[in-house]
Amino acid sequence: MSVSGLPEGDVVTGSFMQAASASSQWILRIEPGFSSQDPVILDIDVKGSSSILHLSLDVGRLSELELITRVRGSGKWFGLLRTGEIGAGAVLNDVVVCLQDEGTLLRVDSIAIGRDAQVRAGTVSSGSERTKADLRYRMGEPGGNLRVLGSILSVDSMHIDHHVEIHHDAPETFSRLTWNSACGGDSRTVGTGMLRVADGSRGADAAQIFHNLLLSADAEADSIPELEVREHEVVGCGHGTANGPIDEDQVFYLESRGFDPSEAKSTLIAAFLNSTLSEMGSDSLHDWLVGLLNSELRTPDA
Amino acid sequence: MEHGESDIEALLEIRNLHAGIGDTQILKGIDLSIAPGEIHAIMGRNGSGKTTAANIIMGHPDFEVEEGEVLLSGENLLELEPWERAREGVFLSFQYPQAVPGLQVGNFLRKSVASIRGKEAAKGADFRGELNEAMDTLDIPRSFLSRYVNDGFSGGEKKRFEILQLLLLKPKLAILDETDSGLDIDGIKTVAAGINAAVRGTDSAALIITHYSRILEHVQPDKIHVLIGGQIVATGGPELAMQLEERGYEWLDPKAEAEGIA
Ligand SMILES: Nc1ncnc2c1ncn2[C@@H]1O[C@H](COP(=O)(O)OP(=O)(O)OP(=O)(O)O)[C@@H](O)[C@H]1O
Ligand SMILES: [Mg+2]
Repeated sequence: MSVSGLPEGDVVTGSFMQAASASSQWILRIEPGFSSQDPVILDIDVKGSSSILHLSLDVGRLSELELITRVRGSGKWFGLLRTGEIGAGAVLNDVVVCLQDEGTLLRVDSIAIGRDAQVRAGTVSSGSERTKADLRYRMGEPGGNLRVLGSILSVDSMHIDHHVEIHHDAPETFSRLTWNSACGGDSRTVGTGMLRVADGSRGADAAQIFHNLLLSADAEADSIPELEVREHEVVGCGHGTANGPIDEDQVFYLESRGFDPSEAKSTLIAAFLNSTLSEMGSDSLHDWLVGLLNSELRTPDA
Repeated sequence: MEHGESDIEALLEIRNLHAGIGDTQILKGIDLSIAPGEIHAIMGRNGSGKTTAANIIMGHPDFEVEEGEVLLSGENLLELEPWERAREGVFLSFQYPQAVPGLQVGNFLRKSVASIRGKEAAKGADFRGELNEAMDTLDIPRSFLSRYVNDGFSGGEKKRFEILQLLLLKPKLAILDETDSGLDIDGIKTVAAGINAAVRGTDSAALIITHYSRILEHVQPDKIHVLIGGQIVATGGPELAMQLEERGYEWLDPKAEAEGIA
Protein backbone atom coordinates (compact mmCIF):
# COMPACT_ATOMS: atom_id res chain seq x y z
CA MET A 1 0.00 0.00 0.00
CA SER A 2 1.32 3.40 -0.85
CA VAL A 3 0.09 6.83 0.05
CA SER A 4 -1.18 7.16 -3.51
CA GLY A 5 -4.10 4.95 -2.48
CA LEU A 6 -5.41 7.81 -0.41
CA PRO A 7 -7.72 10.38 -1.94
CA GLU A 8 -6.47 13.90 -2.17
CA GLY A 9 -6.76 15.99 0.93
CA ASP A 10 -6.31 13.01 3.12
CA VAL A 11 -2.58 12.91 2.78
CA VAL A 12 -1.53 14.55 6.03
CA THR A 13 -3.37 12.37 8.52
CA GLY A 14 -3.08 9.36 6.30
CA SER A 15 0.64 9.58 5.83
CA PHE A 16 1.15 10.26 9.49
CA MET A 17 -0.82 7.17 10.37
CA GLN A 18 0.96 5.18 7.71
CA ALA A 19 4.39 6.18 8.91
CA ALA A 20 3.49 5.59 12.54
CA SER A 21 2.09 2.20 11.77
CA ALA A 22 4.92 1.02 9.53
CA SER A 23 5.75 -1.69 12.02
CA SER A 24 2.20 -2.89 12.50
CA GLN A 25 0.64 -3.19 9.10
CA TRP A 26 -1.71 -6.05 8.56
CA ILE A 27 -2.80 -7.04 5.14
CA LEU A 28 -6.10 -8.79 4.66
CA ARG A 29 -6.18 -10.27 1.21
CA ILE A 30 -9.36 -11.77 -0.10
CA GLU A 31 -8.85 -14.02 -3.10
CA PRO A 32 -10.76 -13.15 -6.26
CA GLY A 33 -14.08 -14.98 -6.38
CA PHE A 34 -13.92 -15.89 -2.66
CA SER A 35 -17.32 -16.15 -1.06
CA SER A 36 -18.38 -16.94 2.48
CA GLN A 37 -21.58 -16.98 4.48
CA ASP A 38 -19.67 -16.50 7.71
CA PRO A 39 -18.32 -13.09 8.56
CA VAL A 40 -14.64 -12.40 9.05
CA ILE A 41 -14.24 -10.86 12.49
CA LEU A 42 -11.23 -8.78 13.43
CA ASP A 43 -11.16 -8.19 17.15
CA ILE A 44 -8.92 -5.39 18.31
CA ASP A 45 -8.34 -5.18 22.03
CA VAL A 46 -6.81 -1.83 22.78
CA LYS A 47 -4.35 -1.63 25.69
CA GLY A 48 -1.64 0.63 27.05
CA SER A 49 -0.93 4.27 26.53
CA SER A 50 -0.77 4.43 22.78
CA SER A 51 -0.94 2.06 19.86
CA ILE A 52 -1.63 2.17 16.20
CA LEU A 53 -2.66 -0.30 13.54
CA HIS A 54 -2.71 -0.14 9.80
CA LEU A 55 -5.08 -2.56 8.21
CA SER A 56 -4.78 -2.91 4.50
CA LEU A 57 -7.71 -4.52 2.70
CA ASP A 58 -7.21 -6.08 -0.65
CA VAL A 59 -10.58 -7.42 -1.67
CA GLY A 60 -10.32 -9.44 -4.86
CA ARG A 61 -12.65 -9.06 -7.80
CA LEU A 62 -16.02 -10.80 -7.65
CA SER A 63 -15.51 -11.84 -4.04
CA GLU A 64 -18.24 -11.64 -1.42
CA LEU A 65 -17.45 -10.91 2.18
CA GLU A 66 -18.79 -9.64 5.45
CA LEU A 67 -16.05 -8.04 7.51
CA ILE A 68 -16.45 -6.90 11.08
CA THR A 69 -13.75 -4.82 12.71
CA ARG A 70 -14.40 -4.55 16.41
CA VAL A 71 -12.42 -2.17 18.62
CA ARG A 72 -12.67 -2.71 22.35
CA GLY A 73 -10.55 -2.36 25.45
CA SER A 74 -9.27 0.62 27.33
CA GLY A 75 -6.10 2.11 25.88
CA LYS A 76 -5.38 5.81 26.22
CA TRP A 77 -4.84 6.48 22.53
CA PHE A 78 -5.48 4.25 19.57
CA GLY A 79 -5.00 4.98 15.91
CA LEU A 80 -6.71 2.82 13.31
CA LEU A 81 -5.85 3.28 9.67
CA ARG A 82 -7.73 1.17 7.17
CA THR A 83 -6.84 1.48 3.53
CA GLY A 84 -8.42 -0.67 0.93
CA GLU A 85 -9.02 -1.52 -2.68
CA ILE A 86 -12.30 -3.18 -3.46
CA GLY A 87 -11.99 -5.16 -6.66
CA ALA A 88 -14.37 -5.05 -9.60
CA GLY A 89 -17.74 -6.64 -8.94
CA ALA A 90 -16.91 -7.46 -5.31
CA VAL A 91 -19.64 -7.30 -2.68
CA LEU A 92 -18.34 -6.10 0.68
CA ASN A 93 -20.22 -5.62 3.87
CA ASP A 94 -17.85 -3.71 6.09
CA VAL A 95 -18.87 -2.94 9.67
CA VAL A 96 -16.66 -1.17 12.17
CA VAL A 97 -17.76 -1.35 15.78
CA CYS A 98 -16.09 1.05 18.20
CA LEU A 99 -16.82 0.38 21.84
CA GLN A 100 -13.72 1.25 23.82
CA ASP A 101 -14.23 1.94 27.47
CA GLU A 102 -12.04 5.01 27.53
CA GLY A 103 -9.40 7.01 25.73
CA THR A 104 -9.13 8.52 22.31
CA LEU A 105 -9.71 6.87 18.97
CA LEU A 106 -8.33 8.34 15.79
CA ARG A 107 -9.62 6.49 12.78
CA VAL A 108 -8.88 7.00 9.12
CA ASP A 109 -10.51 4.91 6.41
CA SER A 110 -9.56 5.32 2.82
CA ILE A 111 -11.33 2.96 0.49
CA ALA A 112 -11.20 2.84 -3.29
CA ILE A 113 -14.22 1.15 -4.82
CA GLY A 114 -13.75 -0.67 -8.11
CA ARG A 115 -15.97 -1.07 -11.12
CA ASP A 116 -19.48 -2.35 -10.27
CA ALA A 117 -18.39 -3.14 -6.73
CA GLN A 118 -21.01 -2.90 -4.00
CA VAL A 119 -19.91 -1.70 -0.61
CA ARG A 120 -21.89 -1.22 2.55
CA ALA A 121 -19.81 0.59 5.10
CA GLY A 122 -21.32 0.67 8.56
CA THR A 123 -20.06 2.34 11.69
CA VAL A 124 -21.42 1.50 15.10
CA SER A 125 -19.96 3.64 17.81
CA SER A 126 -20.58 4.28 21.46
CA GLY A 127 -17.16 5.18 22.67
CA SER A 128 -14.46 5.96 23.37
CA GLU A 129 -14.34 9.20 25.32
CA ARG A 130 -13.09 10.95 22.22
CA THR A 131 -13.46 9.71 18.67
CA LYS A 132 -12.25 11.48 15.59
CA ALA A 133 -12.84 9.63 12.38
CA ASP A 134 -12.14 10.54 8.83
CA LEU A 135 -13.80 8.16 6.37
CA ARG A 136 -13.10 8.54 2.67
CA TYR A 137 -14.48 6.56 -0.20
CA ARG A 138 -13.60 7.00 -3.81
CA MET A 139 -15.50 5.57 -6.73
CA GLY A 140 -13.03 5.96 -9.56
CA GLU A 141 -14.69 3.51 -11.93
CA PRO A 142 -18.18 3.23 -13.35
CA GLY A 143 -20.93 1.31 -11.63
CA GLY A 144 -19.70 1.59 -8.05
CA ASN A 145 -22.40 1.36 -5.42
CA LEU A 146 -21.85 2.59 -1.87
CA ARG A 147 -24.02 2.72 1.24
CA VAL A 148 -22.50 4.47 4.24
CA LEU A 149 -24.34 3.99 7.50
CA GLY A 150 -23.78 5.24 11.00
CA SER A 151 -25.39 4.26 14.29
CA ILE A 152 -23.86 6.48 16.92
CA LEU A 153 -24.76 6.55 20.59
CA SER A 154 -22.95 9.18 22.60
CA VAL A 155 -23.52 9.26 26.33
CA ASP A 156 -21.90 10.88 29.37
CA SER A 157 -19.23 13.31 28.18
CA MET A 158 -18.26 11.53 24.99
CA HIS A 159 -17.11 13.51 22.03
CA ILE A 160 -17.69 11.70 18.75
CA ASP A 161 -16.76 13.31 15.48
CA HIS A 162 -17.06 11.70 12.04
CA HIS A 163 -16.15 13.25 8.75
CA VAL A 164 -17.34 11.25 5.74
CA GLU A 165 -16.15 12.06 2.27
CA ILE A 166 -17.58 10.39 -0.80
CA HIS A 167 -16.02 10.97 -4.20
CA HIS A 168 -17.88 10.19 -7.39
CA ASP A 169 -15.10 10.24 -9.95
CA ALA A 170 -16.74 8.06 -12.59
CA PRO A 171 -20.07 7.80 -14.44
CA GLU A 172 -23.04 5.81 -13.12
CA THR A 173 -21.84 5.73 -9.55
CA PHE A 174 -24.29 5.55 -6.69
CA SER A 175 -23.99 6.51 -3.03
CA ARG A 176 -26.20 6.92 -0.02
CA LEU A 177 -25.11 8.15 3.38
CA THR A 178 -27.44 7.78 6.35
CA TRP A 179 -26.04 8.76 9.69
CA ASN A 180 -28.06 8.45 12.89
CA SER A 181 -26.67 9.81 16.14
CA ALA A 182 -28.40 9.64 19.49
CA CYS A 183 -26.83 12.06 21.95
CA GLY A 184 -27.34 12.06 25.68
CA GLY A 185 -25.64 13.36 28.81
CA ASP A 186 -23.46 16.33 28.01
CA SER A 187 -21.92 14.57 25.05
CA ARG A 188 -21.20 16.10 21.72
CA THR A 189 -21.38 14.58 18.29
CA VAL A 190 -20.31 16.04 15.01
CA GLY A 191 -21.04 14.63 11.61
CA THR A 192 -19.76 16.27 8.49
CA GLY A 193 -20.29 14.94 5.03
CA MET A 194 -18.54 15.96 1.88
CA LEU A 195 -20.03 14.76 -1.34
CA ARG A 196 -17.92 15.43 -4.42
CA VAL A 197 -19.18 14.66 -7.89
CA ALA A 198 -16.39 15.22 -10.38
CA ASP A 199 -16.82 16.57 -13.87
CA GLY A 200 -17.54 13.65 -16.18
CA SER A 201 -19.44 11.55 -13.62
CA ARG A 202 -22.58 11.43 -15.71
CA GLY A 203 -25.50 9.62 -14.15
CA ALA A 204 -24.09 9.88 -10.65
CA ASP A 205 -26.70 9.48 -7.95
CA ALA A 206 -25.88 10.60 -4.44
CA ALA A 207 -27.67 11.58 -1.28
CA GLN A 208 -26.80 12.05 2.33
CA ILE A 209 -28.79 12.61 5.44
CA PHE A 210 -27.83 13.13 9.05
CA HIS A 211 -30.34 12.55 11.84
CA ASN A 212 -29.61 13.61 15.39
CA LEU A 213 -31.75 12.50 18.27
CA LEU A 214 -31.16 14.74 21.27
CA LEU A 215 -31.74 12.93 24.53
CA SER A 216 -30.87 15.66 26.98
CA ALA A 217 -30.72 19.42 27.13
CA ASP A 218 -26.96 19.43 27.56
CA ALA A 219 -26.19 17.19 24.61
CA GLU A 220 -25.01 18.87 21.45
CA ALA A 221 -25.12 17.60 17.91
CA ASP A 222 -23.91 19.25 14.76
CA SER A 223 -24.08 17.96 11.29
CA ILE A 224 -22.88 19.69 8.22
CA PRO A 225 -23.48 18.08 4.86
CA GLU A 226 -21.62 19.65 1.97
CA LEU A 227 -22.03 19.21 -1.75
CA GLU A 228 -19.62 19.90 -4.53
CA VAL A 229 -21.11 18.96 -7.87
CA ARG A 230 -19.09 19.59 -11.03
CA GLU A 231 -21.21 17.49 -13.38
CA HIS A 232 -24.58 18.60 -14.77
CA GLU A 233 -26.01 15.29 -15.87
CA VAL A 234 -26.59 13.71 -12.51
CA VAL A 235 -29.55 11.59 -11.47
CA GLY A 236 -29.74 13.20 -8.11
CA CYS A 237 -27.70 14.92 -5.46
CA GLY A 238 -29.41 15.63 -2.20
CA HIS A 239 -28.53 16.23 1.37
CA GLY A 240 -30.26 17.07 4.56
CA THR A 241 -30.17 17.05 8.31
CA ALA A 242 -32.84 16.57 10.93
CA ASN A 243 -32.40 17.33 14.61
CA GLY A 244 -34.83 16.84 17.38
CA PRO A 245 -35.75 15.31 20.69
CA ILE A 246 -37.64 12.05 21.09
CA ASP A 247 -41.03 12.33 19.40
CA GLU A 248 -43.76 12.80 22.01
CA ASP A 249 -46.38 11.19 19.80
CA GLN A 250 -44.25 8.05 19.56
CA VAL A 251 -43.83 8.07 23.33
CA PHE A 252 -47.60 8.33 23.82
CA TYR A 253 -48.22 5.52 21.35
CA LEU A 254 -45.85 3.22 23.25
CA GLU A 255 -47.23 4.29 26.63
CA SER A 256 -50.74 3.52 25.44
CA ARG A 257 -49.40 0.02 24.81
CA GLY A 258 -48.15 -0.34 28.35
CA PHE A 259 -44.52 0.82 28.01
CA ASP A 260 -43.48 2.88 31.03
CA PRO A 261 -41.64 6.13 30.25
CA SER A 262 -38.14 4.70 30.56
CA GLU A 263 -39.01 1.62 28.49
CA ALA A 264 -40.58 3.88 25.89
CA LYS A 265 -37.52 6.05 25.78
CA SER A 266 -34.97 3.26 25.50
CA THR A 267 -37.15 1.47 22.93
CA LEU A 268 -37.31 4.61 20.80
CA ILE A 269 -33.57 5.22 21.04
CA ALA A 270 -32.92 1.61 20.03
CA ALA A 271 -35.41 1.95 17.16
CA PHE A 272 -33.71 5.10 15.94
CA LEU A 273 -30.29 3.46 15.92
CA ASN A 274 -31.76 0.29 14.50
CA SER A 275 -32.99 2.10 11.39
CA THR A 276 -29.40 2.35 10.20
CA LEU A 277 -28.10 -0.71 12.00
CA SER A 278 -30.52 -3.02 10.24
CA GLU A 279 -29.16 -1.92 6.86
CA MET A 280 -25.64 -2.90 7.75
CA GLY A 281 -25.63 -6.58 7.10
CA SER A 282 -27.09 -10.02 7.35
CA ASP A 283 -29.87 -10.82 9.81
CA SER A 284 -27.54 -12.61 12.19
CA LEU A 285 -25.14 -9.69 12.20
CA HIS A 286 -28.08 -7.41 12.80
CA ASP A 287 -29.28 -9.41 15.83
CA TRP A 288 -25.80 -9.36 17.24
CA LEU A 289 -25.42 -5.60 16.74
CA VAL A 290 -28.82 -4.92 18.30
CA GLY A 291 -27.84 -6.94 21.36
CA LEU A 292 -24.61 -5.02 21.55
CA LEU A 293 -26.25 -1.61 21.38
CA ASN A 294 -28.98 -2.57 23.81
CA SER A 295 -26.35 -3.43 26.37
CA GLU A 296 -24.86 0.02 25.82
CA LEU A 297 -28.25 1.63 26.21
CA ARG A 298 -28.52 1.25 29.99
CA THR A 299 -29.74 4.71 30.98
CA PRO A 300 -28.39 6.98 28.31
CA ASP A 301 -29.07 10.18 30.01
CA ALA A 302 -29.04 9.53 33.70
CA MET B 1 -82.67 2.03 31.03
CA GLU B 2 -82.11 -1.64 30.24
CA HIS B 3 -78.58 -1.64 31.61
CA GLY B 4 -76.54 0.48 33.90
CA GLU B 5 -78.81 0.67 36.94
CA SER B 6 -76.88 2.09 39.83
CA ASP B 7 -76.42 -1.32 41.47
CA ILE B 8 -74.40 -2.56 38.47
CA GLU B 9 -71.01 -0.94 38.45
CA ALA B 10 -70.29 0.67 35.09
CA LEU B 11 -67.08 -0.38 33.36
CA LEU B 12 -66.59 3.17 32.10
CA GLU B 13 -68.27 6.07 33.80
CA ILE B 14 -67.73 9.63 32.58
CA ARG B 15 -69.32 12.41 34.61
CA ASN B 16 -69.59 16.03 33.60
CA LEU B 17 -66.28 15.98 31.73
CA HIS B 18 -64.95 19.39 30.71
CA ALA B 19 -61.60 19.41 28.96
CA GLY B 20 -59.55 21.31 26.48
CA ILE B 21 -56.17 22.35 25.30
CA GLY B 22 -54.63 25.64 26.39
CA ASP B 23 -57.46 28.15 26.51
CA THR B 24 -59.64 26.23 24.08
CA GLN B 25 -62.52 24.26 25.58
CA ILE B 26 -63.24 21.16 23.53
CA LEU B 27 -65.39 18.92 25.74
CA LYS B 28 -68.15 20.82 27.50
CA GLY B 29 -69.77 18.49 29.98
CA ILE B 30 -69.92 14.87 28.87
CA ASP B 31 -71.76 12.11 30.71
CA LEU B 32 -71.42 8.54 29.55
CA SER B 33 -71.82 5.18 31.21
CA ILE B 34 -70.91 1.84 29.65
CA ALA B 35 -71.71 -1.41 31.43
CA PRO B 36 -69.59 -4.57 31.13
CA GLY B 37 -70.46 -6.49 27.97
CA GLU B 38 -71.80 -3.41 26.19
CA ILE B 39 -70.77 -1.76 22.97
CA HIS B 40 -71.47 1.94 22.53
CA ALA B 41 -70.85 4.18 19.56
CA ILE B 42 -70.09 7.87 19.27
CA MET B 43 -70.90 9.71 16.07
CA GLY B 44 -70.41 13.35 15.33
CA ARG B 45 -69.14 15.90 12.92
CA ASN B 46 -65.50 16.52 12.17
CA GLY B 47 -64.02 18.53 15.00
CA SER B 48 -66.80 17.79 17.48
CA GLY B 49 -64.36 16.35 20.05
CA LYS B 50 -64.50 12.58 19.50
CA THR B 51 -60.75 12.01 19.26
CA THR B 52 -60.20 14.43 22.11
CA ALA B 53 -62.50 12.35 24.32
CA ALA B 54 -60.63 9.17 23.35
CA ASN B 55 -57.27 10.81 24.03
CA ILE B 56 -58.41 12.04 27.42
CA ILE B 57 -59.57 8.58 28.45
CA MET B 58 -56.18 7.22 27.39
CA GLY B 59 -54.35 10.05 29.19
CA HIS B 60 -52.81 12.13 26.44
CA PRO B 61 -50.62 14.74 28.16
CA ASP B 62 -51.60 17.62 25.86
CA PHE B 63 -55.16 17.87 27.17
CA GLU B 64 -56.30 19.34 30.43
CA VAL B 65 -59.30 18.13 32.34
CA GLU B 66 -60.97 21.14 33.93
CA GLU B 67 -63.86 19.39 35.58
CA GLY B 68 -65.47 15.99 35.89
CA GLU B 69 -64.55 12.38 36.41
CA VAL B 70 -63.53 9.37 34.37
CA LEU B 71 -63.84 6.06 36.20
CA LEU B 72 -62.89 2.56 35.12
CA SER B 73 -64.75 0.02 37.25
CA GLY B 74 -65.04 2.73 39.87
CA GLU B 75 -61.34 3.63 39.81
CA ASN B 76 -60.34 7.19 39.01
CA LEU B 77 -58.49 7.00 35.70
CA LEU B 78 -57.52 10.65 35.66
CA GLU B 79 -54.96 10.03 38.41
CA LEU B 80 -53.16 7.41 36.36
CA GLU B 81 -50.45 7.83 33.75
CA PRO B 82 -51.19 6.53 30.24
CA TRP B 83 -49.17 3.31 30.67
CA GLU B 84 -50.89 2.65 34.00
CA ARG B 85 -54.26 3.03 32.30
CA ALA B 86 -53.11 0.62 29.58
CA ARG B 87 -52.11 -1.87 32.27
CA GLU B 88 -55.49 -1.40 33.94
CA GLY B 89 -57.10 -2.47 30.67
CA VAL B 90 -57.74 0.66 28.61
CA PHE B 91 -56.96 0.33 24.91
CA LEU B 92 -57.19 2.96 22.22
CA SER B 93 -57.15 2.08 18.54
CA PHE B 94 -55.85 5.35 17.14
CA GLN B 95 -57.45 7.29 14.31
CA TYR B 96 -53.94 7.95 13.00
CA PRO B 97 -51.62 5.25 14.35
CA GLN B 98 -48.09 6.43 14.93
CA ALA B 99 -45.21 5.08 12.82
CA VAL B 100 -42.09 4.02 14.70
CA PRO B 101 -39.33 3.42 12.15
CA GLY B 102 -36.70 1.03 13.44
CA LEU B 103 -39.03 -0.78 15.84
CA GLN B 104 -39.98 -4.20 14.54
CA VAL B 105 -43.60 -5.27 14.81
CA GLY B 106 -42.77 -8.63 16.43
CA ASN B 107 -40.58 -7.05 19.05
CA PHE B 108 -43.11 -4.31 19.75
CA LEU B 109 -45.99 -6.78 20.19
CA ARG B 110 -43.99 -8.98 22.53
CA LYS B 111 -42.96 -6.04 24.73
CA SER B 112 -46.44 -4.65 24.73
CA VAL B 113 -48.07 -7.95 25.69
CA ALA B 114 -45.41 -8.45 28.38
CA SER B 115 -46.06 -5.07 29.95
CA ILE B 116 -49.86 -5.35 29.90
CA ARG B 117 -50.54 -9.05 30.41
CA GLY B 118 -47.31 -9.99 32.15
CA LYS B 119 -44.02 -11.52 31.03
CA GLU B 120 -45.34 -15.07 31.02
CA ALA B 121 -48.06 -14.19 28.49
CA ALA B 122 -45.45 -12.99 25.99
CA LYS B 123 -43.31 -16.12 26.11
CA GLY B 124 -42.96 -19.34 24.25
CA ALA B 125 -45.15 -21.36 21.94
CA ASP B 126 -48.44 -20.22 23.47
CA PHE B 127 -47.78 -16.62 22.59
CA ARG B 128 -46.60 -17.52 19.11
CA GLY B 129 -49.73 -19.61 18.57
CA GLU B 130 -51.95 -16.79 19.76
CA LEU B 131 -50.11 -14.31 17.57
CA ASN B 132 -50.34 -16.50 14.48
CA GLU B 133 -54.02 -17.10 15.02
CA ALA B 134 -54.78 -13.40 15.43
CA MET B 135 -52.74 -12.54 12.34
CA ASP B 136 -54.60 -15.17 10.34
CA THR B 137 -57.96 -13.85 11.54
CA LEU B 138 -57.03 -10.37 10.39
CA ASP B 139 -55.32 -11.48 7.18
CA ILE B 140 -52.03 -9.93 8.19
CA PRO B 141 -49.11 -11.70 6.51
CA ARG B 142 -46.33 -13.06 8.76
CA SER B 143 -43.86 -10.85 6.93
CA PHE B 144 -45.27 -7.92 8.90
CA LEU B 145 -43.53 -9.17 12.02
CA SER B 146 -40.20 -7.96 10.72
CA ARG B 147 -41.49 -4.68 9.38
CA TYR B 148 -41.35 -1.48 11.37
CA VAL B 149 -44.40 -0.41 13.37
CA ASN B 150 -46.86 1.39 11.05
CA ASP B 151 -43.97 2.46 8.85
CA GLY B 152 -45.08 2.47 5.24
CA PHE B 153 -48.30 0.61 6.15
CA SER B 154 -51.31 1.44 3.98
CA GLY B 155 -54.32 3.05 5.67
CA GLY B 156 -56.12 -0.28 5.96
CA GLU B 157 -53.02 -2.12 7.16
CA LYS B 158 -52.60 0.37 9.98
CA LYS B 159 -56.17 -0.24 11.11
CA ARG B 160 -55.78 -4.02 10.95
CA PHE B 161 -52.61 -3.71 12.96
CA GLU B 162 -54.44 -1.74 15.67
CA ILE B 163 -57.01 -4.53 15.86
CA LEU B 164 -54.25 -7.13 16.03
CA GLN B 165 -53.05 -5.32 19.14
CA LEU B 166 -56.61 -5.27 20.50
CA LEU B 167 -56.86 -9.05 20.09
CA LEU B 168 -53.50 -9.65 21.77
CA LEU B 169 -53.82 -7.15 24.61
CA LYS B 170 -57.32 -8.24 25.67
CA PRO B 171 -58.33 -4.93 27.23
CA LYS B 172 -61.30 -4.30 29.49
CA LEU B 173 -62.23 -1.17 27.61
CA ALA B 174 -61.50 -0.86 23.90
CA ILE B 175 -61.95 2.54 22.28
CA LEU B 176 -61.85 2.43 18.50
CA ASP B 177 -61.36 5.81 16.91
CA GLU B 178 -62.53 5.54 13.30
CA THR B 179 -60.99 2.11 12.95
CA ASP B 180 -63.48 1.45 10.13
CA SER B 181 -62.30 4.42 8.05
CA GLY B 182 -59.90 3.22 5.41
CA LEU B 183 -60.91 -0.43 5.77
CA ASP B 184 -62.42 -2.35 2.89
CA ILE B 185 -65.71 -4.20 3.39
CA ASP B 186 -64.02 -7.46 4.37
CA GLY B 187 -61.86 -5.52 6.78
CA ILE B 188 -64.88 -3.94 8.42
CA LYS B 189 -66.54 -7.34 8.85
CA THR B 190 -63.35 -8.78 10.31
CA VAL B 191 -62.94 -5.89 12.71
CA ALA B 192 -66.60 -6.09 13.75
CA ALA B 193 -66.23 -9.82 14.39
CA GLY B 194 -63.12 -9.08 16.46
CA ILE B 195 -64.96 -6.49 18.54
CA ASN B 196 -67.95 -8.76 19.08
CA ALA B 197 -65.70 -11.63 20.13
CA ALA B 198 -63.77 -9.36 22.51
CA VAL B 199 -66.86 -7.88 24.19
CA ARG B 200 -70.08 -9.88 23.86
CA GLY B 201 -70.60 -12.24 26.74
CA THR B 202 -67.50 -10.93 28.54
CA ASP B 203 -66.87 -8.30 31.19
CA SER B 204 -65.18 -6.04 28.66
CA ALA B 205 -66.73 -3.16 26.77
CA ALA B 206 -66.11 -1.15 23.62
CA LEU B 207 -66.62 2.42 22.50
CA ILE B 208 -66.67 2.81 18.75
CA ILE B 209 -66.12 6.21 17.20
CA THR B 210 -67.32 6.29 13.62
CA HIS B 211 -68.86 8.31 10.82
CA TYR B 212 -70.59 5.34 9.18
CA SER B 213 -73.45 3.01 10.01
CA ARG B 214 -71.84 0.10 8.16
CA ILE B 215 -69.65 -1.10 11.01
CA LEU B 216 -72.56 -0.58 13.42
CA GLU B 217 -74.72 -2.96 11.39
CA HIS B 218 -72.19 -5.65 12.20
CA VAL B 219 -71.69 -4.89 15.89
CA GLN B 220 -75.21 -3.78 16.83
CA PRO B 221 -74.24 -1.25 19.49
CA ASP B 222 -76.35 -1.01 22.63
CA LYS B 223 -76.32 2.77 22.39
CA ILE B 224 -75.30 5.46 19.98
CA HIS B 225 -74.33 8.89 21.24
CA VAL B 226 -74.16 12.00 19.11
CA LEU B 227 -71.43 14.47 19.97
CA ILE B 228 -71.80 18.02 18.77
CA GLY B 229 -69.63 20.90 19.93
CA GLY B 230 -68.19 18.90 22.79
CA GLN B 231 -71.55 17.77 24.20
CA ILE B 232 -73.64 14.66 23.81
CA VAL B 233 -76.85 16.00 22.29
CA ALA B 234 -78.66 12.74 21.64
CA THR B 235 -78.48 9.07 22.64
CA GLY B 236 -80.40 6.31 20.95
CA GLY B 237 -80.37 2.80 19.53
CA PRO B 238 -79.05 1.53 16.18
CA GLU B 239 -81.83 3.36 14.31
CA LEU B 240 -80.11 6.65 15.18
CA ALA B 241 -77.16 5.79 12.96
CA MET B 242 -79.44 5.38 9.94
CA GLN B 243 -81.21 8.65 10.70
CA LEU B 244 -77.88 10.47 10.92
CA GLU B 245 -76.73 8.99 7.66
CA GLU B 246 -79.92 10.21 5.95
CA ARG B 247 -80.42 13.56 7.62
CA GLY B 248 -76.96 14.67 8.75
CA TYR B 249 -76.40 16.38 12.08
CA GLU B 250 -78.16 19.68 11.64
CA TRP B 251 -81.51 18.60 13.15
CA LEU B 252 -79.70 17.67 16.36
CA ASP B 253 -77.55 20.76 16.56
CA PRO B 254 -78.80 22.99 19.40
CA LYS B 255 -77.00 25.96 17.91
CA ALA B 256 -78.58 25.53 14.50
CA GLU B 257 -81.99 25.30 16.13
CA ALA B 258 -81.38 28.42 18.18
CA GLU B 259 -80.43 30.28 15.03
CA GLY B 260 -83.52 28.97 13.30
CA ILE B 261 -81.65 27.04 10.62
CA ALA B 262 -83.03 23.63 11.43
N1 LIG C 1 -53.67 19.18 19.92
C1 LIG C 1 -54.61 20.09 19.58
N2 LIG C 1 -54.30 21.40 19.52
C2 LIG C 1 -55.25 22.31 19.20
N3 LIG C 1 -56.51 22.01 18.93
C3 LIG C 1 -56.88 20.74 18.99
C4 LIG C 1 -55.95 19.70 19.32
N4 LIG C 1 -56.58 18.52 19.30
C5 LIG C 1 -57.87 18.81 18.95
N5 LIG C 1 -58.04 20.12 18.78
C6 LIG C 1 -59.27 20.79 18.36
O1 LIG C 1 -60.35 20.26 19.10
C7 LIG C 1 -61.48 20.08 18.28
C8 LIG C 1 -61.93 18.63 18.34
O2 LIG C 1 -61.00 17.82 17.67
P1 LIG C 1 -61.10 16.24 17.60
O3 LIG C 1 -59.87 15.72 16.98
O4 LIG C 1 -61.43 15.73 18.95
O5 LIG C 1 -62.34 16.07 16.62
P2 LIG C 1 -63.02 14.75 16.06
O6 LIG C 1 -64.44 14.79 16.53
O7 LIG C 1 -62.22 13.56 16.39
O8 LIG C 1 -63.02 15.03 14.49
P3 LIG C 1 -62.82 14.03 13.23
O9 LIG C 1 -64.15 13.44 12.93
O10 LIG C 1 -62.38 14.94 12.15
O11 LIG C 1 -61.79 13.02 13.58
C9 LIG C 1 -61.10 20.54 16.89
O12 LIG C 1 -61.55 21.84 16.70
C10 LIG C 1 -59.59 20.47 16.91
O13 LIG C 1 -59.03 21.43 16.04
MG1 LIG D 1 -61.14 12.23 15.28
